Amino acid sequence: MSETKHNTKGPIISIRQMNKYYGDFHALTDINLEISIGERMVICGPSGSGKSTLIRCLNRLEAHQSGSVNVNGVELHQRMKDIDKVRSEVGMVFQHFNLFPHMTVLENCTAGPMWVNKVPPEDAHNIAMKYLERVNIPEQADKYPAQLSGGQQQRVAIARSLCMHPKVMLFDEPTSALDPEMVSEVLDTMTDLAQSGMTMIVVTHEMGFAKKVADRVVFMDEGRIVESNEPIAFFENPQSDRTKKFLSQVLVH
Amino acid sequence: MKLLKPLLGTLLIAGLLSVNSANAGAVLDKIMSSKTIKIATDANWPPQSFINDDNKMDGFDVDVAREIAKRLGAEVEFITPNWDVITAGNWYGRWDMHVGSMTPTKQRAKVLSFPAVYYYTPASVAVHKSSKVSQVSALSGMKIGTGTGTTFELYLNHDLVIDAEGAPAFSYEIDNPVVKSYETSVVALDDLRLGNGVRLDGVVSSLPTILEAINNGYPLKVVGTPVFYEPLAVTVDLGDNELNAKVASIVAAMRTDGTLTTISKKWYGVDYATVK
Amino acid sequence: MIQDTVTEDIIMRKPKFIAFLFTTIFICFFIFDPSQSIVGHLLEPALGDPEKSGFYGRCVTASMSAVLLVLNLLAISWIPNFRLQVITVWLQLLILFLSFFYSFDLSFEFIRSKIWFMVTQGIFTTLYVSAISIVIASFIAIIGAVAKMSSNGFAYAIASFYTSFFRGLPLLMQVYLIYLGFPQIGYVIDAVPAGIIALSLCYGAYMTEIFRAGIMSIDHGQWEGSRALGFKFGLIMRKIILPQSIPLIIPPTGNQFIAMLKDSSLVSVIGVWELMFLARTLGNKTFNHMEMLITAAMLYWMMTMVLELIQSRIERKYKKQQSR
Repeated sequence: MSETKHNTKGPIISIRQMNKYYGDFHALTDINLEISIGERMVICGPSGSGKSTLIRCLNRLEAHQSGSVNVNGVELHQRMKDIDKVRSEVGMVFQHFNLFPHMTVLENCTAGPMWVNKVPPEDAHNIAMKYLERVNIPEQADKYPAQLSGGQQQRVAIARSLCMHPKVMLFDEPTSALDPEMVSEVLDTMTDLAQSGMTMIVVTHEMGFAKKVADRVVFMDEGRIVESNEPIAFFENPQSDRTKKFLSQVLVH
Repeated sequence: MKLLKPLLGTLLIAGLLSVNSANAGAVLDKIMSSKTIKIATDANWPPQSFINDDNKMDGFDVDVAREIAKRLGAEVEFITPNWDVITAGNWYGRWDMHVGSMTPTKQRAKVLSFPAVYYYTPASVAVHKSSKVSQVSALSGMKIGTGTGTTFELYLNHDLVIDAEGAPAFSYEIDNPVVKSYETSVVALDDLRLGNGVRLDGVVSSLPTILEAINNGYPLKVVGTPVFYEPLAVTVDLGDNELNAKVASIVAAMRTDGTLTTISKKWYGVDYATVK
Repeated sequence: MIQDTVTEDIIMRKPKFIAFLFTTIFICFFIFDPSQSIVGHLLEPALGDPEKSGFYGRCVTASMSAVLLVLNLLAISWIPNFRLQVITVWLQLLILFLSFFYSFDLSFEFIRSKIWFMVTQGIFTTLYVSAISIVIASFIAIIGAVAKMSSNGFAYAIASFYTSFFRGLPLLMQVYLIYLGFPQIGYVIDAVPAGIIALSLCYGAYMTEIFRAGIMSIDHGQWEGSRALGFKFGLIMRKIILPQSIPLIIPPTGNQFIAMLKDSSLVSVIGVWELMFLARTLGNKTFNHMEMLITAAMLYWMMTMVLELIQSRIERKYKKQQSR
């Protein structure tokens, strides 16, 4: 589906003047952001800068208090009726995978299509196997998540999201919980996905991935968007002091 | 989801309930049309009513109940609720009649009606074999056990009023007893058998029950003469006068034709059916 | 509990402890005066008639009994195998218990004539009343748990009022209230349904907390993962959360069932012919109360042991599933 709509270059997500509070704490301040179809955006920033919170507002796992968040033409708010439909069209990959441990890899992948999209079991099975092949682990289909390595689990989680044919994929620090040797297999899968034209928003510290894949890099600090630019300009000519300081810290190694 | 809870609660209750008529006026009609009568009695009260060797209800009261049911032309079904549930009244048709040696008292007459007295039992005092007590009044101020909610308890508390015709007069012979009320007076006998004064000094119960216990090896003896004669009546719920009249005539017939005497002799060896 | 790999010396090998043990046991025996016991009678050739052996005889029999007991404990401590040790102690305690009952001079003939009826009528009724009640209670508990975790004030209020009320009242009172109270509002219920309602409501209240804890223990990531796929609340609960919390819910629910099995005896007051009712009534005619009470006690105990066995089986099964 994402491929067919690829040429209609409108924004799929637009955020205007959004603010989020946790009690008295002002977590996100005056966020304005638009993501076009087919765009690959990387959000980076120091921990506690609100980047995870921001991405979780996009499928309303978190609520915002003011401003507007519009996903695929639907305004997100507290009393909305069709949040499940919006969520089913927005794939999300979590830091800790959040696979269902009591279900096999295959069942994890068929659950969404069967229960939400009412796809018949055989078709759901075919969809699941197609995406498990795409993330290169079809042979693990009958195992349980706990029997897989972290990298494998995260690839299953990506496949699980893809089975819903999402219009946009959100990645919330997908490699932060992985052992170092497993980071690259997940990043490779994500790069493949980007090359296929998927609209992606990725919260990550992997600056190499950002340089290679992103159309745009957004830097956040203290709940605000500080800087937003093309990757080459962002890395080679950062505008603000905070960006420079952040880049010097993450790129020194 | 939030509405489910009260909804399920209602369903649950509605599913388990059988909505019976709480109208007592129709009891006789119900018995006659269904050809069955539910009779409540105690399962803990030998030899009046108990579970026999074949695990069926049996005893004096049970035989009387069967005979009444037969004369009503109905099959009998026995129900065995606790005594206090029966005496509380308001049966709402759970059972139609109670044949279980109930003494008609003023308090009970407020919630139940007593169409017919069918026998009189002597209430007596039992003590342990080793007790030195030789007359009832010697037990004044001592620990006396009995069943809770019984006329024996009322007697010990000097609060007994018997308003049945033909009941002999009585006087309170035990002053200021320490009354220990048990679930039934049989449990009190169990405590008394432990020894004189161990838990109890005496028990007030029906003479047949005491004698039955002694027959079964309880180390007890009866003191003096019976303290009062208890008229014992068939009980029905308030409100169905037709049933009252019918039961009264059946019991009267059973007394005149000697059926009650026969049943009494079968179970007690003596005739308790007529006043002495 | 995780056992340390280093253990202290076996306490039964310490002379000081043995001496202490012996003294304690001796004092106990001396107070209870064992001169009339089997030990006393065995010593009769040496001491003469136990009734007349007096202070000296009491000392000797008490010390002999204490020696025997300490030797027995020492022997048990030498059994190298944990299982064997457990079995030995179990058997000894069992024999002690049985001989205690045996000393009541029970009529086993009477027990034999009644036991079949106690099983077919009593145990059957006890089991089916408890089984139906635990199923209903589980449903109530799921709904109660969800309501208690809900942000809806109305649902929370009803659920917390319910748990507070039914946990705050003695079960016996609930049985009476339901049996005697419902007819007042026009619903006449029989004894068995009244008992089942009372047990279900009471245990449902306790199990609400068990289910709530089970549901709460599931990582919030499971909720987020499910929501991100577009699952609705009921689906998440049914397919994701409850299946994972069941291994946590099963053991305490099993305990509740075992407790209920015994609490179901309270419905005997409204005339249900279950095990407790029969225990109190069957012996009445021939005044064999002790026989029936002890038989019922044994039957309750055996039922509980069987259920504990089943419960540990189920627990093991779920443990295996979890470690997959």
